[in-house]
Amino acid sequence: MKTSKRKRKDIVIQSLISFVSLFGLFILIAIFGYVFQKGSGLLSWDLLTSDYYSTTYNTYYDGTLSNASFERPESLDENTYFSSNWGIGLTDAFDNEGKVYILINYVDSDSPFKNLPDKNVEGVFQNISEDQTLVKVIFSNRTILYSSEGAENAALMFDKADGIIDLLTSTSGKGIRGSVITTLYLIVMTLVIALPIGVFTAIYLHEYAPKKSKLVEALRRLVEMLTGVPSIIFGLLGAAVFIPFTSTITSADGGNLFSGALTLAVIVLPVIITSTEEALKVIPDDFRQASLALGATKTQTTFKVVLKFAIPGILSSVLLSIGRIIGESAALIYAVGTAIKDKIILTERSTSLAVHIWSIMAGETPNFELASSISIIILAVVFILNFIVKFIAKKLSFSGGN
Amino acid sequence: MEQANNVFEIEKLNLFYGNKQALFDIDMQVPKNQVTALIGPSGCGKSTLLRSLNRMNDLIDNCKMDGLVKYEDQDIYNKVYDAINLRTKVGMVFQKPNPFPMSIFDNVAYGPRCQGVKDKKQLQEIVKRALINSALYDEVKDRLKESAYGLSGGQQQRLCIARTIAMSPDVILMDEPTSALDPIATAKIEELIQDLKKEYTIIIVTHNMQQAARISDNTAFFLMGYLVEFDKTDVIFGDPKEKKTEDYITGRFG
Repeated sequence: MKTSKRKRKDIVIQSLISFVSLFGLFILIAIFGYVFQKGSGLLSWDLLTSDYYSTTYNTYYDGTLSNASFERPESLDENTYFSSNWGIGLTDAFDNEGKVYILINYVDSDSPFKNLPDKNVEGVFQNISEDQTLVKVIFSNRTILYSSEGAENAALMFDKADGIIDLLTSTSGKGIRGSVITTLYLIVMTLVIALPIGVFTAIYLHEYAPKKSKLVEALRRLVEMLTGVPSIIFGLLGAAVFIPFTSTITSADGGNLFSGALTLAVIVLPVIITSTEEALKVIPDDFRQASLALGATKTQTTFKVVLKFAIPGILSSVLLSIGRIIGESAALIYAVGTAIKDKIILTERSTSLAVHIWSIMAGETPNFELASSISIIILAVVFILNFIVKFIAKKLSFSGGN
Repeated sequence: MEQANNVFEIEKLNLFYGNKQALFDIDMQVPKNQVTALIGPSGCGKSTLLRSLNRMNDLIDNCKMDGLVKYEDQDIYNKVYDAINLRTKVGMVFQKPNPFPMSIFDNVAYGPRCQGVKDKKQLQEIVKRALINSALYDEVKDRLKESAYGLSGGQQQRLCIARTIAMSPDVILMDEPTSALDPIATAKIEELIQDLKKEYTIIIVTHNMQQAARISDNTAFFLMGYLVEFDKTDVIFGDPKEKKTEDYITGRFG
C-alpha cells in the first residue's frame, strides 16, 4: 500500500520535471524558430560583407565599341537579359518597397564596364561590378533609360547604343560589415584590457591576499555586486569618465571604440574575476604544496602550476565575457555611439551589431527581417567563438586531470 | 643510536595549530642514508613532524612552533635560513599521486627548471636519470611528451618520486606514499625505496606496520603528539621497551 503511494508520487514528480524542462526547451526553440524564419530571407553573404551606405558612380563611355559581340555565358538564368554589345547581364529586382529596378548581375571580363571613366573626377576610372543597381542611363543617341523600365527593355536599348553620355549606378548598401568589424574590435580590445586585470585580481584575491582580511572580503563582495549592476549605469560611467579620458589621450571627440572597450571591460571584469577565482578554488592544495616542496617559489607555483589548472575556468570566463560584449547595447549607446559606419576608425563613433539592431528597430519603420538576420549573425558569431575557445581550452589543458 | 651522521636533529620541538598542541617536546635524531619510518595512529602528529622538516608547515596560517630543528647542523627555522633552498635539499612525496597538468617530461623537469636550468641537453639528462632511478624509465620512455595523467596511479606516484629525485636532494620525505595504491604498485614503491636509500635519506610516514617493518631501518612510534619510542626497527618490532609501543604493534589499539 505504502510502496504504491510512493511510486505514484515518484511518477507524478518525474513527469512534472520532464514537462517543465520540455516547456523551457519549447520556448527556446520557438524563439530561435521565429528569428530564423524572419531573418533567413535577408541573410546572405552580401549582407555581411557589403557597406551600409550605397555609393553612386557617375561614369560615361565615348570610345568605340570593338564591335566584337560578347558571348552570353551559359551560367546566366532565363530571367537575365544579356547585352552582347556591352557584355553585361541585366535582371529585374525588387526593392524593400516592392518597386522594380534593374540589377547588373553579370559583367564580362572584357566588357567596357570594367573600366569606365568617372564623370566627376577626371582621370579616374571605375569598375562597374556585378550586383550594382542601374539607376539611370543617357545613351549617346539621347535616349534615356530609367531603372523602372525593366531589364528586358534595357538590354535592347544597350544593344542599340554605341556610346554612353551618362551612366548612374549604385552599390546596394544596407550591409552590416561595419558593425561586424566594430563588434570584433570591441571583443578583442575589451578582452585585451579586462583579461589580464581580471585574472591577476583573481590570483591576488585567492593566492596572495591574507585569508581572513576584512578588506579582501569586502572587495570580493563588491566584485560580486558589480555583476548585477544594470549596464546602462556602466554606460553612464563610460560617457562621464571614459569618453573624456580617451578624448584627452587620443584624437577622439565623443564616443569611440576605446571608451567602448573600457566600458565593456568594467562590465566583464567581475565576470572574469569571479569565474577565475572559482577555478582557483577547486584546485587541490596538494599541487601548490607539491610545487613548493620542489623548491619552486610562490610566483613559479602560481604561474606554472596553478594557472595551468585554471585555464579551463579562465577560458569559460572569456566565453561569458564575449557573450556579454556581443549582447551589450545599452552601455554602448553612450560609449561608442549609434552611428552606423562603413569605415571603422578606432577614435570615432560607430555601432556594434546589438546597437545596430536597436538602431533599425528604433526608427519609424522597424525592420524586423533585418533585425532577425543580424540576430542570426550574432548567434553564429557566438557559436563560432564558443567553438574556438573550447578548442583552445582542449589544446592548452592536459585532459583527464584529477 | 650513534651520534655521528645525523641528517636531522630535533630538540624540544613543540608545535601548535592555533590553540591545539600537535607535537610535545619531540627529541629525535634522523640518521643519514637510512630509512626511518614514523608510525602511530591517526592524528598522532607523525605527518606534522614530517612536514616540519621541510618547513611545509609554514604554509599553514595558524601554525606556531618552538624548539630546534637542525638540518646538517643548521637551524632551519632561523630567520635567515631560506625555506626554498631547504626544499631543494629535502624533497617530499605526498599521499595522493599529484603530477602536474603537464607532460611526463615537464613534470620531472619542473624542479630543475624552477632552479633556472635551461639547457635542453642537461634537462634531458636529468629527466632520464631521475626516471631510471625511480624505475619508471622503461615504462614511459616512448611517451615522455604525453600527459602525466595517462599513467596509472602507481606510475604517477613513481613519477612524483622521479620529480623529487630530479632535484638531487639529500633527503626524501614520504607522507604515506602508498596509501592510495594497490598492493602491486605498493610493492614496486617499496622496492624502489630500498634502492633509493643507498643515495638518499628517506623518512616515511606510514599507517601500514608491516610496511614499516619491511622497509625501514629505524622506526619512531608516535602517540597523541608524543614520541613514545624511537629505535632500530628490529628492536621496535621485536622487543620494544615501552608497553604502549608493544600494545600498538600487537594490534591491541590503533
